[in-house]
Amino acid sequence: MTFGNEAVIIDNMSNNESKSYSDTSRASPKSLSAAKRDAQWLYSISNNQDARALSDLFEIYGPKLKGWLMARGEGSGTSEDIVQDVMIKVWTKAGSFDPVKASFATWVYRMTRNRWIDHKRKHGRMDVRDPDLMKIIADDEVQSAEVNFMAQQNSDILREQISRLTKAQQMAIRMAFMEFKTHKEISEETGLPLGTVKTRIRSAIQALKANMAKHIGQMQ
Amino acid sequence: MMLSMDKKMNTSEHAITEYAAGNLSPAKHAVVACQSEICEEVSSRVAFQEQIAASMIEQVQTKALSPLFMGNVLANLPLQDAPSSDTNSKNNAPETLKHLLGCGLDKIKWKSLIPGVAVHDVLGDRHNKTGDRLYLLKAKGGMQMPNHGHNGEEWTLILKGSYNVGDKSFARGDLHIEDEDEIHSPHINEGEDCICLVMTQGPLKMQSLVPRLLQPLIGI
Repeated sequence: MTFGNEAVIIDNMSNNESKSYSDTSRASPKSLSAAKRDAQWLYSISNNQDARALSDLFEIYGPKLKGWLMARGEGSGTSEDIVQDVMIKVWTKAGSFDPVKASFATWVYRMTRNRWIDHKRKHGRMDVRDPDLMKIIADDEVQSAEVNFMAQQNSDILREQISRLTKAQQMAIRMAFMEFKTHKEISEETGLPLGTVKTRIRSAIQALKANMAKHIGQMQ
Repeated sequence: MMLSMDKKMNTSEHAITEYAAGNLSPAKHAVVACQSEICEEVSSRVAFQEQIAASMIEQVQTKALSPLFMGNVLANLPLQDAPSSDTNSKNNAPETLKHLLGCGLDKIKWKSLIPGVAVHDVLGDRHNKTGDRLYLLKAKGGMQMPNHGHNGEEWTLILKGSYNVGDKSFARGDLHIEDEDEIHSPHINEGEDCICLVMTQGPLKMQSLVPRLLQPLIGI
């Protein structure tokens, strides 16, 4: 079952940070060059109908997106169907990609998330939930992981800024974006009051935003 | 009052976080997607949180794509779209909504609910007892909506026109979130009709509504 794996991932993140980093980091460590590389591939896809560039992009992003979908409880087959739809959409919509507005990583994440929500809408299936996972997450003893970011322009800065947050704030960011549960569900499963969950997550995001704004000067 | 201001901020901020993370139901997800298309302020907040969500994908274990995946997709690539010109002018329906409706706002068939008020189901059935449902609601300018409450949350995104509830006013791009147990009676502003995208949970509490509706009809 998928959620068994997820607990292992969480465990890895807390106990074996360097391992998970080297396992998943395939892109260049130079964030700027990775963002440029992605943008060049997109340019080549839209201007030269370059299928090779599309395949290079998805050699890198495909397994990440499939991993995300499976962590959310989808089976391997459904996950690949969704990644396939996204890959085709990247191909057909490459001309409307604007590297100034968002990195490719963010653009393709948004497409994948929306395609997945669309899938849930059409199939009306209930989410698989694992209360045990929440206990692991809610446990204050869990050490915050060295955050392993997608190599792209802002992510290096994001990583640095997240690592400067307090441990509790780093936990809250993980809770919000890695638990795949609504705040209400987090509250029910951890026993923390809903207001506390919301406040903790909101203040962590605001702290991160403020730090980013200070750093970049114009970050919204 | 300070407290209610704070509460309003909280609600929309956590909705944005849950949207970015992909934790909202399809109905709520559609509401926030539509709002971010027509409200710049929300769009930039969403973009920031999507950037965090996208970078967190790196922490999920990657899953290898099956050996035939890449070949299958590449062998069946469709024609690319022409770069889209931004035609989403003011008062147009958000693309997300058009996708769900399969057409624009001008083509939908409204069902009259009471004089001056018409609805069109988008997701789910308004008469269902459980689950989030999404529908469009059109109310005539100048009319006072009947006092009503609901069994769950009510999220109202204003697409066209405007209304007031007490001293608060809501116009295109605003998302009005009411919690359970709140009873309200929006006043539609004079002039144009008001069209809203509404997400409700559980049936509206009609007990007090029905007699009020009947009053003008039967002349008592």
